[in-house]
Amino acid sequence: MNLSLLKLEIATAGLAMLVLMLDVFTRRDDKRFLGAISAAGLTAILAWSFWGGMVEGAGFHGMWINDALALFFKRLFLIATILVTVMSVGFAGKIESGVGEFFALILFACTGMMLTASVSDFVMLFVALELVTVSFYILTSFLRRQVASLEAGVKYLILGALSSAFLVYGITFIYGATNTTSFAGLAEFLSAKGATGLVLLGVLLVLAGLGFKVASVPFQIWVPDVYQGAPSPVTAFLAVGSKAAGFALLLRLLYGGLLPMKATWVALIAVLAAVTILYGNLAAIPQKNIKRLLGYSSISHAGFLLLGVAAATAFGTGAVLFYLFAYVFTTLGAFLVIVCLAHATADDEIASYAGLARRSPLLAAAMTVALVSLAGVPPMAGFFAKFLVLSAVIGQQLWWLAAVGAVGVVASLYYYLGVVKAMYWQEPRDEGAIAVSLPMKATLWCVMGATLLIGVYQGPFVAWAFDVAGRFMK
Amino acid sequence: MIPVVLQHYLVVSAVLFSLGLAGVIIRRNALVIFMSLELMLNAANLALVAFSRYNGNLHGQVFVFFIITVAAAEVAVGLAIIVALFRRRKTVNVDELTSMRL
Repeated sequence: MNLSLLKLEIATAGLAMLVLMLDVFTRRDDKRFLGAISAAGLTAILAWSFWGGMVEGAGFHGMWINDALALFFKRLFLIATILVTVMSVGFAGKIESGVGEFFALILFACTGMMLTASVSDFVMLFVALELVTVSFYILTSFLRRQVASLEAGVKYLILGALSSAFLVYGITFIYGATNTTSFAGLAEFLSAKGATGLVLLGVLLVLAGLGFKVASVPFQIWVPDVYQGAPSPVTAFLAVGSKAAGFALLLRLLYGGLLPMKATWVALIAVLAAVTILYGNLAAIPQKNIKRLLGYSSISHAGFLLLGVAAATAFGTGAVLFYLFAYVFTTLGAFLVIVCLAHATADDEIASYAGLARRSPLLAAAMTVALVSLAGVPPMAGFFAKFLVLSAVIGQQLWWLAAVGAVGVVASLYYYLGVVKAMYWQEPRDEGAIAVSLPMKATLWCVMGATLLIGVYQGPFVAWAFDVAGRFMK
Repeated sequence: MIPVVLQHYLVVSAVLFSLGLAGVIIRRNALVIFMSLELMLNAANLALVAFSRYNGNLHGQVFVFFIITVAAAEVAVGLAIIVALFRRRKTVNVDELTSMRL
């Protein structure tokens, strides 16, 4: 047993408690200061993960595994959380009370996500997932004077608890049949006795619970309303963090416990991926609210990520990792613009983005880069991500799946470029210039730069993702 | 005398789970829905304890403690959200939560 396997999580949880503590001693007007501490602390933890001599290995009686994949996801979550925290500092003016708790909850959710990356036991899976989900219940309904936020919170709460119930019941059956809660035990059972009815039922229920997390069809019902109603930084965090955590768990489970029944889950995931891509892209077309639009777009991206999982090769897993990495910067870019505009426009309707290029060229450019990258147009990061997942699928001769993916890409161009059209070629409602604070400006430039850099100079990033995937699949 | 076997517990657990699920689907009051969700979690608890007893190890019983703890946290947060919603909307009927549409 080695406590240093857990050091990043301990540091993050400690930071969260520090922020809660400092909240007591901070004056009402200085709460943004807590966001700065939180972002600085996370940056230090991220740096520590590179230079702190990370230990790889398993521990805690097979409940915990720290390998290349875990470390990849942890860094991803840290980067996403830093950007979301900076975004929240820009958003803090909209929060009436509890700004300090808002930052602390983001950190707790981040801790939960980091835990999911190292899970190798069902009890651990449940606890890590619930830490993320319960933090998000509070974050989603944080604007408690706004009906939309509360409604989003209640919907997320009910559907989230329902998915937890399915997950727990599934774990129960798996435990009942295999007499163990560890992934390794499940794999052993499956290769010795095959998938008996009880185990199969359990696995399906667990996959349903994870399907809810990554927002794949038919567990996507909650996405549009929750994305629209939640405070914008929370929506962004849901889109990148919660989804990536779901994929971390999915990879852990599929290649850990369920490897002996690979042929079965490949077929299942392939069908889910196809339906998810079609649903997400087609339902996004008539949307009028930008956050709702991005909600449907996030469903379609879950579909594309599932393509890489369905390929079930080291190449496919590498593609998923690269996709998630590109997706973090791309999506957060779009949400940064939404947060910057939250003070200038009353709502998040696409109509109020009309003529944005004239009111703030920087915001319009950042939004365009993000949307074009989400659509998968070269030379953006999103293009190369989609290219990799599709080639992973084609490499496995799943032509029909690649065709569905191509249809999804074409359909998505329509609604993403509709927003770009509104920003550049429509008359603005009012001409007033939009002020953007300096930290937000700097973050916007960073995210835009990253989206372009990962797209143009993708070599090292692809090599990194594929190296991690190769070591994970070995 | 009818001996009580594992199957009996599992049937009760399945009945509880189904009742909970039916409640979530049919009832329109957010509080009742939330109660039904707790019923589903407790169905899992019952099955876990039964499995644990008949499998002869304690993993299942320990897991039950985790589920109870997490469910308690969920209830604390969930009820607070529902109360906040009630203060704002004066209703907890889920059919009326329609401020967000296409």
